Amino acid sequence: METATAAHTDHHADVHGHEEHHHEETFLTKYIFSQDHKMISKQFLITGIFWGIVGGLLSVLFRLQLGWPNETFPFLESFLGKWAEGGKISQEFYYALVTMHGTILVFFVLTGGLSGTFANLLIPYQVGSRDMASPFINMLSYWFFLGAGVVMFFSFFIQTGPASGGWTAYPPINGLRDTAVNLGSGLGFDLWILGMTLFIVSALLGGLNYIATVLNMRTKGMNMFRLPLTIWALMFTAVIGVLSFPALLAGCVLLEFDRLLDTSFYLNNIIINGNLLGYKGGSPILFQHLFWFLGHPEVYIIILPAMGLVSEVLSTHSRKPVFGYKAMVFSILAILVLSFIVWAHHMFVTGLNPNLGAIFTLFTLLIAIPSAIKVFNWIGTVWRGKVRLSTANLFAIGFVSMFISGGLTGIILGNSAIDIQLHDTMFVVAHFHIVMGVSAFFGMFAGVYNWFPRLYGRYMNETLGLIHFYVTLIGAYAIFFPMHFMTGLPRRYYTYANFETFNNFNFLAEFISIAAIIVFLGQVLFVINFFYSIFKGRRVEVEKTVDGYDYGNPWGTTTLEWSSPIERLHGNWPGDIPAVHRWPYDYSVNGREYIPQTEALKPGEVPHE
Amino acid sequence: MVAFLSFAIIVLLFVVLVLIARAQELTADLKDGKVSFHNQSKFNGYMMLGFLVFMFVGAAMCFKILTPVMLPEAASEHGVKTDFLFNITMLIIGIVFVFTQIALFYFAYRYNESHGHDSYFYPHNNTLEVVWTVIPSIVLTGLIAMGMYEWMHIFDPEARDKKMMVIEATGKQFNWMLRYSGKDGKFGERLIDQAHVSPTNELGINWEDPKSHDDFMADKLYLVKNKPVLMKLGAQDVLHSFFLPHFRVKMDCVPGIPTEFYFVPTMTTEEMREYLKTQPWWQGINPETGLPRWETFKYELACAELCGKSHFGMQRDVVVVEQKEYDEWLAKQTPMYVPPVAETAPAETPAADTSKAEEKKPTAMLGRK
Repeated sequence: METATAAHTDHHADVHGHEEHHHEETFLTKYIFSQDHKMISKQFLITGIFWGIVGGLLSVLFRLQLGWPNETFPFLESFLGKWAEGGKISQEFYYALVTMHGTILVFFVLTGGLSGTFANLLIPYQVGSRDMASPFINMLSYWFFLGAGVVMFFSFFIQTGPASGGWTAYPPINGLRDTAVNLGSGLGFDLWILGMTLFIVSALLGGLNYIATVLNMRTKGMNMFRLPLTIWALMFTAVIGVLSFPALLAGCVLLEFDRLLDTSFYLNNIIINGNLLGYKGGSPILFQHLFWFLGHPEVYIIILPAMGLVSEVLSTHSRKPVFGYKAMVFSILAILVLSFIVWAHHMFVTGLNPNLGAIFTLFTLLIAIPSAIKVFNWIGTVWRGKVRLSTANLFAIGFVSMFISGGLTGIILGNSAIDIQLHDTMFVVAHFHIVMGVSAFFGMFAGVYNWFPRLYGRYMNETLGLIHFYVTLIGAYAIFFPMHFMTGLPRRYYTYANFETFNNFNFLAEFISIAAIIVFLGQVLFVINFFYSIFKGRRVEVEKTVDGYDYGNPWGTTTLEWSSPIERLHGNWPGDIPAVHRWPYDYSVNGREYIPQTEALKPGEVPHE
Repeated sequence: MVAFLSFAIIVLLFVVLVLIARAQELTADLKDGKVSFHNQSKFNGYMMLGFLVFMFVGAAMCFKILTPVMLPEAASEHGVKTDFLFNITMLIIGIVFVFTQIALFYFAYRYNESHGHDSYFYPHNNTLEVVWTVIPSIVLTGLIAMGMYEWMHIFDPEARDKKMMVIEATGKQFNWMLRYSGKDGKFGERLIDQAHVSPTNELGINWEDPKSHDDFMADKLYLVKNKPVLMKLGAQDVLHSFFLPHFRVKMDCVPGIPTEFYFVPTMTTEEMREYLKTQPWWQGINPETGLPRWETFKYELACAELCGKSHFGMQRDVVVVEQKEYDEWLAKQTPMYVPPVAETAPAETPAADTSKAEEKKPTAMLGRK
């Protein structure tokens, strides 16, 4: 906290001018070892995009196997060598693909890429702060993230292949090192643990910094209930991360002990080919508790920032205050609390005490209530607005649609009695991909299209954006809606040919694979648009010029980020940090289209509070 | 070559799209120095309606095409109830789905800015918030109560029939070991230690326990119609999960921790075939066997927890028969136990010090100890 306090004082002291923020910067300090929150945000975003493409490509590869289990694809052998001999993806590599697809998208894209990008970009801008509480720790957070990614990426190129025992890393399959019967559990999994450890360090450094910044560095007049919902969401996300990631770290360290030091935290009476190994007294279920103590809050770490971004984008583009601001804040808080007491719904059929199953059913289904409140409030925000259907807003609307579709099936899965049949089947895959995968991506895209002008001073291209949106919306539904009908099909199957029971859906698997490939190409279009727009995109219109700084406000938003010049200054504001006089959602009030938070109240005006 | 060509076509497509996008940017409508979204909003407003229609047509097609292909109705007592719970929940969420999606996309169309109206400043309404908190709460309370009741009933040891049969299933890479207790209805004791577990006695059965002498291993899971069964589950090496999709049974098998699942099969394999004979989809010819699908229908046992590279291959047939047929099958099974052969092979048996060595290095053979 000491750093935070120091920075706090500094931020009050620096009212005497901005010159000190304009010291000479070299390429290295500006682009590489930057401590500027906006640059770190870009670093997170571009790294996240890289991982998004890798993770998506992995899914295309395993969809080739699932869609056409009897075909061969000779070109695969040229790229993948021994992993795809004769053009057929090997069993080992198939499991490596699904494992790394999950790991990469859950952690590296939708946690690091999403929170990292938008917490860094929006927290200092929207609370009115020159930078994070500790810019240095913030930089470290990115570098640990990058390091984690390098380790994970490296694991693809080792002889024994990357981790393959599922992104959930369950022992004993991942707890026994160098045993012939295990799957990708050699060096690849050690690197997985190392990568995750670095990742957790990054998440903790970042999270503490975000919380400290929101709590301590708000500008004058910015009380908590004047914070935009983005900031509430990002702060609560950070709180969840800080409280739950350590449990995963502990779980992973003990798992590595089992692997390297032959301890028995998770292993007991393991018999391989009739030989009893020496492990005694551990419990594989213990790891699942530790894993899901993070793993479940993790899905809220993914979805809450998306919810925050969507609330803001919907309100801005509907030219209407977000409906039920305080209800939104308290429902995020309710989700935060509940997210910690529902983890065992991932373990209903592990043989845990049925009483526990009942309690976890109760808490799990309770989460539907704050989620429902949020959905109704979003719909209420669009109702009677003056809705600008820009790409950003379309993605926000798409988010709400996806979140409804995916959230509703959660009511089925959260009910333990029904989950007996559905657990570990394609129904679950469909559910969580829609509700936290696709939804979170929609929220992220809404955010990127909306705040791209803030990052680069240019707009993203709307035509490419619209194509991207419709391909993704229709494609994602085409993939995951019919998948719900595969209710009895176990997930993580290389082929269903061994079972008469599961062999009826081959035509559907092929359809899904085709849709997945098209959606992937749609995302490539997004990447093209992104880099094209950095250099060639339409510039943000200059609305006024003060002291040589150009100001604009591309979407007409009330929040503080556009009270700063279009140019991204280190320190954000050339002069004093503006004070805040009103809540962030004064849209279409007092005959004005929008009133920025910085605008003082008129005599006699009652602030909305 | 095909791969290369498709790649080239895709690249070309992207180039064309970028050029179109560039042209659009140069010809954008300007209003007050800013790009106007009026026309784009109008276009997307209609697209929102279009998507709404597409979504419901698509959903209806999914139900029409895919429902007949899904698993047939549950063949166990509790399965019928959980299926009912599934269906009633599906109905409720289906209604919510339809109404919320219509509201969302219709509002996006109706209130898009091209209609030239003003936005309505309406920041909150506490009555509404209370309404849409309380109604979901009531509905959820009902679902939770029904779910909990069913769940506690499935796992209630008191509710079990004392005359149930007990079968032991142990998962290993990549197979299921199915042990029946034989004529006496009692399992021989298992001892998981170096002295008992060996490549020839993977389960660590204590052959000195006379109850083990009629235990046998089955290649198919035989069950009796309407006879309750308690599956005693375990795993040798890694996690497995005992999954009987037609009976709505699933329970993980955990090395070192016993688990169990109690259920009552209600339809024999033959009865299920008779039932499927009346179902349109099952009339189709199975290309592999050349017979109608219903004729070769069988219950199956699968693994539902990733257990290694051949996870997808842990298949066993499951057969449900009437008691009489079961008894006939039972009579044909041979116990695992091989009576001691010490007299015929004296060289290998003996003395106290060898048995001590045995404790360290497991070499115990079937039926010899």
